Amino acid sequence: MSVPHARGFLLLRRAGGVWGIANSAVDGLARSGEGYRIATGDGALMADEILGVVEDLAVRPPAPVVRRFWSEPSAGLAVHGALPLVVVDPSRPPAALRLEAEEGEMDEGRD
Amino acid sequence: MAEPGTPTSANGTDARRARREGTHLLVRAGEYACALPLASVRRVVRALTVHPLPGAAGELEGLAEFGGEPLPVLNLARLVNASPGANPSYPVTVVVWVGPPESRETIGFTADAALEVVHVPPESVVAGDGGFLQGEAPVGGEVVRILNLESLGRDL
Repeated sequence: MSVPHARGFLLLRRAGGVWGIANSAVDGLARSGEGYRIATGDGALMADEILGVVEDLAVRPPAPVVRRFWSEPSAGLAVHGALPLVVVDPSRPPAALRLEAEEGEMDEGRD
Repeated sequence: MAEPGTPTSANGTDARRARREGTHLLVRAGEYACALPLASVRRVVRALTVHPLPGAAGELEGLAEFGGEPLPVLNLARLVNASPGANPSYPVTVVVWVGPPESRETIGFTADAALEVVHVPPESVVAGDGGFLQGEAPVGGEVVRILNLESLGRDL
């Protein structure tokens, strides 16, 4: 299962949050235990659930009040339907998505 | 020519502006009543569905959708260091503008209730921290916290 370099954004849920990542940054997507492993040019991300792919998002820069209380880097904020989400900067993913946050907890034999 | 003590039109305009600026929406946030400048309040709605932002400070509850846009939602009780009370369900979201007028942004505050619209005379406000907490003032037998929403949206 993969969506390599397609148009649009991959939407996923991780750690209770909803995230989007540009498909152009996705090299591959595979099941990994109970979740998913997303390969990007800059490393690998983890998802608990894949919500789907959308063609387009109106991405807005994170407002100062968000940056004030949430220090993670991002490409911006968007809404799909009634679902607000953070658009990930693949070169600087938030800690909640990074694979290394899972290391030691994952059973690497499962796929 | 106006009689001494009769407001001129300029003074009348100033008085109206002062009254408008002193008009606040009183909201309950935990143990405190907080006064939000009415001119900055866009809407009071039933609690919006909030999606958490992992890793965010406790003040930032997460993101909601409002009018098709992502809306950061802050916990007002935490912002003013109020005890949340026995049953902190925060059934109301108050949608407001924050930040300076030239770069204001829309956010939501979780709150226990929107109480009433009150006038807070500037001379009744005891100065606060010079930031988000503009000061405190007696309103209807209770000391309420007067909030400066312009300061909240400024970059640190």
